Amino acid sequence: MSLEFLIEFLIGGITVHSFSRQIMAKQEAKKIIGDAISSGRKSLLEPDALELLKAFGIPVSEYIIVHDAAEAKDAADKIGYPVVLKVVSRDILHKTEAGGVMAGLKNAQEVEDSFNEMIFELSDHYATAKIEGFLIERMVDKGVEVIVGGVRDAQFGPAVMFGIGGVIVELLKDVSFRLAPVTKEECLEMVKEIKAYPLLTGYRGSGIVNLDAISDVIIKIGSIMEELEEIKEMEINPLIAYPDGVIAVDARIML
Amino acid sequence: MTRLNACGMNDMSENIGFFFNPDSIAVIGASQAYGKLSNVLLRSLKKRFKGSIYPVNPKYNSINGLKCYTGVKAIEGGVDIAVLIVPSNAVIQALKDAADAGIKGAIVISAGFKETGKSGSLMEDEIKGIVNGHGIRVIGPNCMGIYDSFSGVDTFFIPEERLERPEKGGLSIVSQSGSFAVSIMDTLAMEGIGLARIVNYGNRVDVGESDLLEFLADDDNTKVVALYIEAVQDGKRFVDAAKRCSEKKPVIAIKVGRHEAGANAAKSHTGAIAGRYEIYRAAFKKAGIIEVSGYDELLDACKVFSMQRPANLSPVSSTGQALQDLSRDGKKVFILTDGGGVGVSLTDLCIEMGLDVIALPEDAKNNLSQKLPSFCSIANPIDLTGSVTDNDYKIALEEGLKYSDIAIVAALWGPPGLTDKLVYNIKEVSKRLNKPVIICSPGGRFTQEKKKLFEENGLPVFATPEDAVRAAGLLANKL
Repeated sequence: MSLEFLIEFLIGGITVHSFSRQIMAKQEAKKIIGDAISSGRKSLLEPDALELLKAFGIPVSEYIIVHDAAEAKDAADKIGYPVVLKVVSRDILHKTEAGGVMAGLKNAQEVEDSFNEMIFELSDHYATAKIEGFLIERMVDKGVEVIVGGVRDAQFGPAVMFGIGGVIVELLKDVSFRLAPVTKEECLEMVKEIKAYPLLTGYRGSGIVNLDAISDVIIKIGSIMEELEEIKEMEINPLIAYPDGVIAVDARIML
Repeated sequence: MTRLNACGMNDMSENIGFFFNPDSIAVIGASQAYGKLSNVLLRSLKKRFKGSIYPVNPKYNSINGLKCYTGVKAIEGGVDIAVLIVPSNAVIQALKDAADAGIKGAIVISAGFKETGKSGSLMEDEIKGIVNGHGIRVIGPNCMGIYDSFSGVDTFFIPEERLERPEKGGLSIVSQSGSFAVSIMDTLAMEGIGLARIVNYGNRVDVGESDLLEFLADDDNTKVVALYIEAVQDGKRFVDAAKRCSEKKPVIAIKVGRHEAGANAAKSHTGAIAGRYEIYRAAFKKAGIIEVSGYDELLDACKVFSMQRPANLSPVSSTGQALQDLSRDGKKVFILTDGGGVGVSLTDLCIEMGLDVIALPEDAKNNLSQKLPSFCSIANPIDLTGSVTDNDYKIALEEGLKYSDIAIVAALWGPPGLTDKLVYNIKEVSKRLNKPVIICSPGGRFTQEKKKLFEENGLPVFATPEDAVRAAGLLANKL
């Protein structure tokens, strides 16, 4: 086999590999979405949403699905402390406001106590909510919280959004939009367009974050919106940005 | 042959050029009663349009000295376009007859369609049927139609004493609103800003903003396009058409209806924030459209883009199509004044706008201090003071523009050393270096007269520092 042929073979192989990965991601996403639709849900459950993101190559934080306090403790031991406990329910979309998120749990006892408290609170305030389960998630390091979203417009098709994350994003509306698909240049423009941009470049001790990694996620959200027409809206909030990369901690996908 | 796109609409946009340069026009429903809209329209056409005009109305033998016909069929040799100004219930038959007689297209001025309810919508469906069946194009109904300063096509049925027609110019306007089209046209005429073509397409049964953008992209008479948009018809086609146009010439847009009551059942933050307006803005960005936020700003934009070119274009050629020069961001601004206060104010505003008030290199400063009188303050801004002469302006502008993308020249006419030659000096330097210059000239009657002289020489004048800097921001695409 000549060297030239070998190189061509290798390059061809890599292309086919990334292409087939894209197809597999789409197939996997289609299955997740199909299951949600056939069980009558208008949105994906959080673990399904995270799974879909993962399939498209977006880094997500490590998690295990649990159903009772004992499972929760085992999962936390396996993942390593501290952990976050989150409710998984089709009826509770904004978990934080509903008391469905408890963070910074440092040991098995705290996991058990928090689990019992959350069950108690939810049964009090969300008595009719169907609870599918709970997540034990790795508590990620502090970074800059950003939001990356996608919407589908009846006229212009899919669009992507970027902003500083957290619950005040709706209040401040410090966000930027572009129509999908987006190029890396457009993503960098989006990032620089928001008023809080200095928070991403080390303003007053905030970390300098990896803009390439953020751009990569925006591009991927754009292509997910293009590939999967069943999705009406989606967002990663927060996406935690670090100097060396990003990690998706929570996601919503609306069908 | 009629091609149909996915929406079942006619896709023959390459053909709408005939509306703007027809050989002949039939005015269906022309009246001889002086005050009637159709008579106003006929008189406007007669005054400007160089081709043949055929009034159509079975009631008359002639109107305003033109032979009147019983129908379009009766016109020997056929007609390019028909203008329909008849009651809405007579439109369908009149359009059918005209289409049978072989017109290429029609402008339906008549109101009383979709805007009035269900039966009006059904009539619009019938018009669409005629469009598709006969392969003609239709502008309207319920519209002002076209004013074209080059060919003299003028269907704006308002008499000249109430709506002045602008002179020939490089600006073309596409407006979804008729009243907006009328107001801005009249204002442009008063401001002395020329117009190539203005179109109001009303209820848009067929020809819409995307067709017009496609036409204007290739129209040599159009150097800049301004859009007034409430809602576009086909988002993706609009983005493609506007992008193709903006690659050739500046496209400015104002979007109204920015705030809507939220009928959005969104559950995510993204969905809650993403109103229609945010998506429109994203679409404008994708299409390379320069968005302005209000009437004043649109007028400023129309003026500055009619007279000057974007600040980041390559300064190589003044004739051929200038390409974007990637080494220049278009933000470097040089400020020249003969009054300290205006210079400081311009500097503040430029910085607030995000423009770069560059520091002049030492070489340039040394050079200037040898050539200019010692009382001048040589930095950026350069203040030539009240002892200024026409020639001082020329020397300073030439040196400052070498290092910048754009110059704002404050011209206060108090100093006795200034004459009309100032205007020609600034024009000469701007032309030779092929870089945009904006004049800021606050003042009363004398200043207004000189403003006219500046603008006749292609230099846009703004009365306030705020407007001048906003115009500079538009050229630098910082808005």
